[in-house]
Amino acid sequence: MAIITLPYHYLERLTGVDRNLIISRLPMLGSDIERVEDDHVDVEFFPNRPDLFSVEGVARALRGFLGKETGLPEYRVNPSGMKFTVDPGLATIRPILGSAVIRGVSFDEEAILSIMGLQEALHWAVGRGRSKVAIGIHDLDTVTPPFHYLASERTRKFVPLDYEHELTMEEILAQHPKGRMYSHVVNDFPRFPLIVDDLDRVLSFPPIINGELTRVTTETRNLLLDTTGTDERAVRTAVNIICTAMAETGAVIESVEIEGMRWPDLSAAVRYVRTNDCNRLLGTGLSPDEMAALFRKMRYGATPAKEDLVRVEVPCYRSDIMHDWDLFEDVAIAYGYEQFAVGISPTFTIGKPHPVYGIGSLVRQVLTGFGFIEVIPFTLSNEAVMFTRMHRPVPDDVLRVMHPITEDHTLLRTDLLPLLLEICQLNRHRELPQRVFCVGDVVRGVDTFQKTAWVSIHPAADFTEAYAHAEAICRELALPFTVGESEDPAFIDGRRGDILVNGNPAGMFGEIHPAVLNAFELEHSVAAMELDLRALPGYPGSPGTP
Amino acid sequence: MDLTQNEKKLLMALGPLGSADPSRLAKLLSAPEEAVIQYAYLLQDRGLAIVERKVVKHFTLTGEGRNYAEHGLPERQLLESFVESIPMAELTRHPLAKIGIGQMRRKGWITIRDGLVEKTGTSGAGDDEAALQDPSEGKKGIDDLLKRGLVQETEEVSYRISLTPTGTALAARGIEIRGETGTLSRDQIISGGWKELNLRRYTVDKLPRRVFPGKIHPYQRLIEEMRQILLQMGFEEIYGGIVQSAFWNFDALFQPQDHPAREMQDTFYLKEQVCLPPVFEKVRDMHLHGGTTSSTGWGGTWSEQKASQCVLRTHSTSLTIRHLADHPDPPVKAFSISRVYRREAIDPTHLPEFEQLEGIVMDEGVNFSHLLGFLKEFYTRMGFAGVRFRPGYFPYTEPSVEPEVYVPSLGWVEMGGAGIFREEVTAPLGLEHPVLAWGLGVSRIAMLRLGLTDLRLLYRSDIEWVRDTPTILPEQIPGGD
Repeated sequence: MAIITLPYHYLERLTGVDRNLIISRLPMLGSDIERVEDDHVDVEFFPNRPDLFSVEGVARALRGFLGKETGLPEYRVNPSGMKFTVDPGLATIRPILGSAVIRGVSFDEEAILSIMGLQEALHWAVGRGRSKVAIGIHDLDTVTPPFHYLASERTRKFVPLDYEHELTMEEILAQHPKGRMYSHVVNDFPRFPLIVDDLDRVLSFPPIINGELTRVTTETRNLLLDTTGTDERAVRTAVNIICTAMAETGAVIESVEIEGMRWPDLSAAVRYVRTNDCNRLLGTGLSPDEMAALFRKMRYGATPAKEDLVRVEVPCYRSDIMHDWDLFEDVAIAYGYEQFAVGISPTFTIGKPHPVYGIGSLVRQVLTGFGFIEVIPFTLSNEAVMFTRMHRPVPDDVLRVMHPITEDHTLLRTDLLPLLLEICQLNRHRELPQRVFCVGDVVRGVDTFQKTAWVSIHPAADFTEAYAHAEAICRELALPFTVGESEDPAFIDGRRGDILVNGNPAGMFGEIHPAVLNAFELEHSVAAMELDLRALPGYPGSPGTP
Repeated sequence: MDLTQNEKKLLMALGPLGSADPSRLAKLLSAPEEAVIQYAYLLQDRGLAIVERKVVKHFTLTGEGRNYAEHGLPERQLLESFVESIPMAELTRHPLAKIGIGQMRRKGWITIRDGLVEKTGTSGAGDDEAALQDPSEGKKGIDDLLKRGLVQETEEVSYRISLTPTGTALAARGIEIRGETGTLSRDQIISGGWKELNLRRYTVDKLPRRVFPGKIHPYQRLIEEMRQILLQMGFEEIYGGIVQSAFWNFDALFQPQDHPAREMQDTFYLKEQVCLPPVFEKVRDMHLHGGTTSSTGWGGTWSEQKASQCVLRTHSTSLTIRHLADHPDPPVKAFSISRVYRREAIDPTHLPEFEQLEGIVMDEGVNFSHLLGFLKEFYTRMGFAGVRFRPGYFPYTEPSVEPEVYVPSLGWVEMGGAGIFREEVTAPLGLEHPVLAWGLGVSRIAMLRLGLTDLRLLYRSDIEWVRDTPTILPEQIPGGD
């Protein structure tokens, strides 16, 4: 989650709008207000809009949304004359480099906090924890161009940020807090990414840590941006978002030449969209002029073209615009979600329950008719409950999750009966008799299907109760069954039966074995039954297969 | 008039006496006095008797009171211990000085000036002193003595039970007193013997022993209610497996393979793998470059191996998207309420598994305004008074919307998410019309409706809670609006 802190007076300065109006309208732009404080508001913006991860970006969007300044924000880029070389050895390590020079910044504490917050949010949302993109910001006046992006020896030494002495890059990964946090991104490579200036002084060890040399302070006036990564589109997004946010504060952006290409390119992308497509999607009746005006409110350049086409200029920081519908959503937001007429489509269909749930409902009717109370335990369970305490062997096809969070939840339940006994254990102090049942999914292999089970715990629970109820339930469910001697170790020998349908086992019933009662810390006898609902007439083929 | 056996007995005993106290009647009825009083009140309720309850207050001296009655109140003793005046310092040495000096001043017997205590001349015996000699009710001054703890009050309650004229007349006519019968026997019923029986009467004042019916779990009932609403709205129900391939759970929904939600810490992965359906190539192309649509796709790479890996479904959209792939022709209106899995540690509001409701509408010409209409209709039928909409974000819908419902105690509450499936989702599956989709956390509604603060109670049920939760919740009127 990207939670952005918006200090009121900075935001008011950038937008020229009162804080109360901002707070009331922000949610309708697409955000969740997390906390309203005396001097700031914390707002969660959606991960598809990293351009809103800075106060400057939010102000830019709000100015449009609130009608203070609409249309495409234009960003000039002057050549800086500076160059970057890229070592071909990085091709298999971290090949993409983006950069820019940002001049004339005037950093007060709020601006530094905002830009650091933006950097962190971008690392999370665009950079995937720095693996896809990592951003470094340097004091340009401490270094000498041209700059060099290298695949360096792992033993190269420099003074990392917040340190006073030199460490090798390997030591940084082992000792520096940021090194330990992000070492997994580079640790497997024979050489490490490194950025140096023309005097071979270290600016940065991307994506881990900058050098102390280029530390940014409130005195810093000119910045060099390095953005490295594995995906060019993501690197471009990060560079554009940072540069345009800085330009919003009045800084001047200059380009850097990297292997013959000029970075950054802050020009808008042009798309043509049809007003009719938009109206069809939204159920609106907008004219091309109206739609263009709504686009401009969302900071696009927009002019009606021939027929129902609108020419849309997409700002360079809008990395989320992949498809026409992304643009139409912004039309809807500008139009106002609260303004939409709501109506149900005339689509005619007939409601139809799924047979599996239909059977489940009938089973519930039957079992509540016998006086059982329903419970709905977790489907995640563990070997101890499912098999060990039941004195049952572990089947081969039990499905285990790969990275369980707790010992309680390591596998998917194969049966319901153990979970009912666990519920009885939880309710030991409650009045007897307790008669509970459950209908629900179990998993064998990768297949999901439904079972039902019931238990009855009280001093007089016995095989007779189990058999009588099992017979009655099967009868009510129209199950053509026979009963055979069972060998299920969860039940007492001589007091257990298998329910057979067409000669195949479909369930069992009986009196629970005292050793199992002991394992579940139960003090009274238990009559029980479990039934595989696939045996029922009308249960569909195999709806639960991946 | 249906008198109980005991009432009859009391009435007959009172008949010849007209009026009596409970102790005498108790002997006649061989019953405790308290019981006789209880029967008498029952007769009074029927207008047959009058119960007079008399309370007499008695005052008796306490030990301290008896001492003062004999020797005089402390202030009197103190006053008499000196003649006209006495230095304060000297008087305070008297054993009763602590109580007496204050009382003398209060009664105006003395003045104190410059450390000298002087008699004022007025020192007549007060009401309290008279009451001390004869502490009976109504005496002036008794209240003072009560306050000072010199007398104590005791109450004596006595009853007098008398017949009313109606009661006297009834007793004079005579009442038949017969033995009582508890349970009717088969013989008594078929032989007609029941006509002669005097069936024991039971009182309804006291609640009976609590019994509990067989019961559908309150949470399941809520799920059933939602199911019925959707079936009534013409939706077809979907059922599917807990285990899904990452392909159906993520890729078919255009979730990029490096999306944080796909990571191990949020999703339960399984070592099992399944074969991809033939449509996977189109989905792959969509991820890589937008396939044949106006989309740019995600770019980067796309791994078949990652898509074949199995997961515990993280949302029920994995079921609805498969349903659409199998039913590409309009119209489709379908829903599922099923359990979904997130790799979250358990706490009162987070569980690794919980129910999710998902609805889809696919038809020619359906649009965003219809989506809002379906949402409004569903939440209104669920009993929420107000519904409003805010922009939202979900990776597989565009536009996206977050519906909010109004809950009087909480205000506007976010209630799930909705949107129109992106063309990147629908195009590879050959769907040619928009798909309206919406989902919500069912447990969220359960917490509101059942007044729960801990979600765990739904799954690790306290049987007592299920027993005590009524089938009809107070705010829920069947068939009402």
